[in-house]
Amino acid sequence: MIAPAVIILGLLTFWPMALSFVWSFTKYTGLGDPQWVGFQNYLDLLGDPLFHQAALNTAFFAVTTMAVGPALGLATAILLNRKMRGRAFYRAAFFLPVTTALVAVAAVWKLLLNDGGIVNQALGLFGITGHQWLADPNTALPAIAIASIWQGFGFEMVVFLAALQGLPPDLLEAASIDGAGPFRRFWHVVLPYLRPTFVFVYVIGLIGAFQVFDQVYVMTQGGPINSTLTVVYYLINRFRALDLGQASAIAYLLVAVLAGLSYLQVRLARKWS
Amino acid sequence: MKIMKKHGVAAVAAAMLTATAVTVSGCSSGGSGVASDEDQTIVVWDYYGSASPITAAVPEFEKTHKNITVQVEALDWDSMLDKFPVAVSSGAAPDLVTADMTWLPTFASGGLLSDLTPVSKDMINGKAFSDVYNAGALGAMKYNDTYVAAMYDFDAYCLYYRSDVLKAKGLTVPTTWDEFLQTVSSMAEDTDGDGTFDKYALQILPDSFHFAQLLAQNGGRFLNEDDTVAEFNSDAGVGALAYMQKLLDAGGIYWGPSEGDSTGMPGIKDERIGMFINGPYMMGVIKDGAPEQSGKWAVAPAPVGKQQGSYLGGTGLVIPTGAKHAAAAWEFAQFLLAPENQEAVFTAAGAAPATTAGLAMPALSEPDPYFGGEVPFKDFEAAMETATPFPYVAEWESIDSSITNALETALLGKASPKDALDAAAKSADSELAK
Amino acid sequence: MSRAATIGRSAAIRPTRRIWRLSKRATLHLILIAGSLLMLTPFIWALSTSLKAAKDVFDPHGGVIPNPISFDAFHSVFTEIAFPLYFLNSVTVTVLIVGFNVIFDTAAAYAFAKLNFPGRDVIFGVLLVTLMIPSQVNLIPLYRIMVALHDMIPWLGVNTLSGIVLPSMVQVFGIFLLRQFFATIPDEVIEAGRLDGAGEWRILWRIVLPIAAPAIATLMIFVFLNAWNDFLWPLLVSNSDANRTLPVGLTLLSRKNTVNWPETMAGSVVTILPMIVIFLILQRRFIEGIAAGSVK
Repeated sequence: MIAPAVIILGLLTFWPMALSFVWSFTKYTGLGDPQWVGFQNYLDLLGDPLFHQAALNTAFFAVTTMAVGPALGLATAILLNRKMRGRAFYRAAFFLPVTTALVAVAAVWKLLLNDGGIVNQALGLFGITGHQWLADPNTALPAIAIASIWQGFGFEMVVFLAALQGLPPDLLEAASIDGAGPFRRFWHVVLPYLRPTFVFVYVIGLIGAFQVFDQVYVMTQGGPINSTLTVVYYLINRFRALDLGQASAIAYLLVAVLAGLSYLQVRLARKWS
Repeated sequence: MKIMKKHGVAAVAAAMLTATAVTVSGCSSGGSGVASDEDQTIVVWDYYGSASPITAAVPEFEKTHKNITVQVEALDWDSMLDKFPVAVSSGAAPDLVTADMTWLPTFASGGLLSDLTPVSKDMINGKAFSDVYNAGALGAMKYNDTYVAAMYDFDAYCLYYRSDVLKAKGLTVPTTWDEFLQTVSSMAEDTDGDGTFDKYALQILPDSFHFAQLLAQNGGRFLNEDDTVAEFNSDAGVGALAYMQKLLDAGGIYWGPSEGDSTGMPGIKDERIGMFINGPYMMGVIKDGAPEQSGKWAVAPAPVGKQQGSYLGGTGLVIPTGAKHAAAAWEFAQFLLAPENQEAVFTAAGAAPATTAGLAMPALSEPDPYFGGEVPFKDFEAAMETATPFPYVAEWESIDSSITNALETALLGKASPKDALDAAAKSADSELAK
Repeated sequence: MSRAATIGRSAAIRPTRRIWRLSKRATLHLILIAGSLLMLTPFIWALSTSLKAAKDVFDPHGGVIPNPISFDAFHSVFTEIAFPLYFLNSVTVTVLIVGFNVIFDTAAAYAFAKLNFPGRDVIFGVLLVTLMIPSQVNLIPLYRIMVALHDMIPWLGVNTLSGIVLPSMVQVFGIFLLRQFFATIPDEVIEAGRLDGAGEWRILWRIVLPIAAPAIATLMIFVFLNAWNDFLWPLLVSNSDANRTLPVGLTLLSRKNTVNWPETMAGSVVTILPMIVIFLILQRRFIEGIAAGSVK
């Protein structure tokens, strides 16, 4: 029964992967024969300041989006986890961005963050002078992170909401009877109960965050001054420079990091439960 | 469903095996695939977009070449840059492609472009290349002494300015760097007093094209004679960047990549930009994008530093490695390069034809009402005479991006021009040493 | 839930507490309304801009409602670019990809969860690693496979819709998601089926699928979102209008030489809108589906 899936994956996922893995040990422009260079591509990358910057930028992006996104998701889920008027509307409003094409919303954000865009107009109401968010190396990456959080946290909200609805009421009641306030109830009852949900959200979320590409591609192309250069965007840049060997090596360095992180996460989750 | 039935899996498996062996075995035989008089369809990838002189030429070409069908795929500049190397290196090359001249070093050194000599015998419509192009263009078409592109449109820089504003302020057209600085300062206004110029400012593009212009005018060059060491951080280079900085401070508007387009069209429309330095293609762009400003613009030779100089670029017609119908593709290329069709580069796209005969066509020497009844082309033609292309080294792509970084870093005030360029030169040197 | 119970118990709420409760509610709604507005602003602004004239886009006094309302941008989106065709292509590609994934992912996930065969855990482990590999690194090898396939069978591979569909027919994430769900189905249910002499495919079809419907809905949503929104691979593999999807068409539109914000936004609106409509219609399924897949 796994035959069809395994055959298709084998041909169209594993085989390309194996090829690019082999390429990562070669110098290869795409034409002619690849030249075997051993670990040279990996070593070059580790000593490449541009790659360091890409790695730092990616880490920054992953940490900010993964710190803020799930927190916002959980907060809205808690607010919405009750019988109230307009619940469906709120839920839809928060979830809507998740359904939309990144390419399309990235273009929209570019408009919002433009010099004369609505963000600056709104800030102007409070007497704050406008800013070229995507043109300033200090704000471009945070701006992309904010846009990504906007696009993504609705997903986390829905996941937390579902988990909260499965929370047995007697668990909370028992805590209230013990005299626990709302904060303590949240800390000692709700959070531990949500642990598997957190693992799910973070495993999926971190892999996505470390592979951030589309937003950069549409919004800043890695600039200004490489301040939004991410690892996967750098990979595409190496493709463009016809350096398939190094492009592939970048991917497998990223895999190593992600595998390490995932292992850590699972270990941590086990330790805590 | 139908896709996976029966031979689906087997086909994918076979495809996978052949895919590993794709080395574009058609490499050397690129030109000799199909004779130009056989029935065939050639595939052309064209980044001109909606106003393409290439699409416009197809019906006429097909009329005179009954056996050849031309299939034009309209792409844009960025998509072309992404798709071209992937397709060509995978053996799915189109037959004729518009390529930015700045791509040539990377593509040619990667083996993606075929030598035009076998298919053309260095002749276009019966005339030798050297009679069709001027010396600058000929130099730009060669990589390692082989012709890899036939130049289709050219790019060399002049000054565009709002003549109505200039006149209203009682200014004259600047001809030297010093005068230019004065003019920029008098033209630009800061209407809301926030410290940045927002009316009639000079567009400052932090890119290597504009740096190239100032660098050449200041007597500098990007690399040394043998293309082995970076030289753009010489005194001439630092001076060029410092001058760019002065222009920005005097009355410039910083137009970085995040603006979304290098043309500056939004800024031109809302009059934030009153002056800019750019190539002839901008004539078409502003006419198309800001028809309401007709008569308000004029073109003049760019102000001169120590000497004249400009970046030389443009679009080349290239035949990719592995093109199956190279002979027919060259037939079409020649058709596009004939003077009467070169005229369409201007009439359809507003850009400047690259052949000398094309530049002499009547449509290009007529007074242009959009530019106050002047004939802007003569200025661009003059600029081309002293223009030079980017160095043709395989590593240009990386060097270019480190220079761009240096420009952004210095113009945004993150480092001094010297420090920024020194850092870029260091990384360029290490690229070149590879 | 527990709150409702508390309210029920203390029937006599004193007026002050009632006011306290009401103002708490009001604050809650205020926060949520403000939040929703923030969330929706980009959409509203995109729509508003798409209906403006290009010169009014950055007018600080322009406001949300365009004056005058101009449909020029939509007009040029539909005339200059083959949007109806792109839309149709997007639908075709998405439906095929979702269909294939439902069949193949389900079968594989069932096998991984409920069948014993040699190498099961090893194969599954390898599958998980592929999740971590950025798909961009496979672009060129995959492209070559599509080229070779196209050379053998002209209606498959590069520059056909199948070129977009084939690489997404099976998704590891889908197998992973469903396997987690199938693991929760008691073995006895399946054993009972086997005792009745049913084959594995029959068990999957008759017994497992009805139980797993919510999880499969989740899978469909994920695959649907990805397939509809994917753009780099479709951009590479499609060379002509006949095979372009909406996001690819949008990229081409927004990258034309000059940025025309109303046109770009009209393109975005046209790309986003079908998704919003589908979401609003299937809202409950969407949200319940994701919930079912993630919590189990």
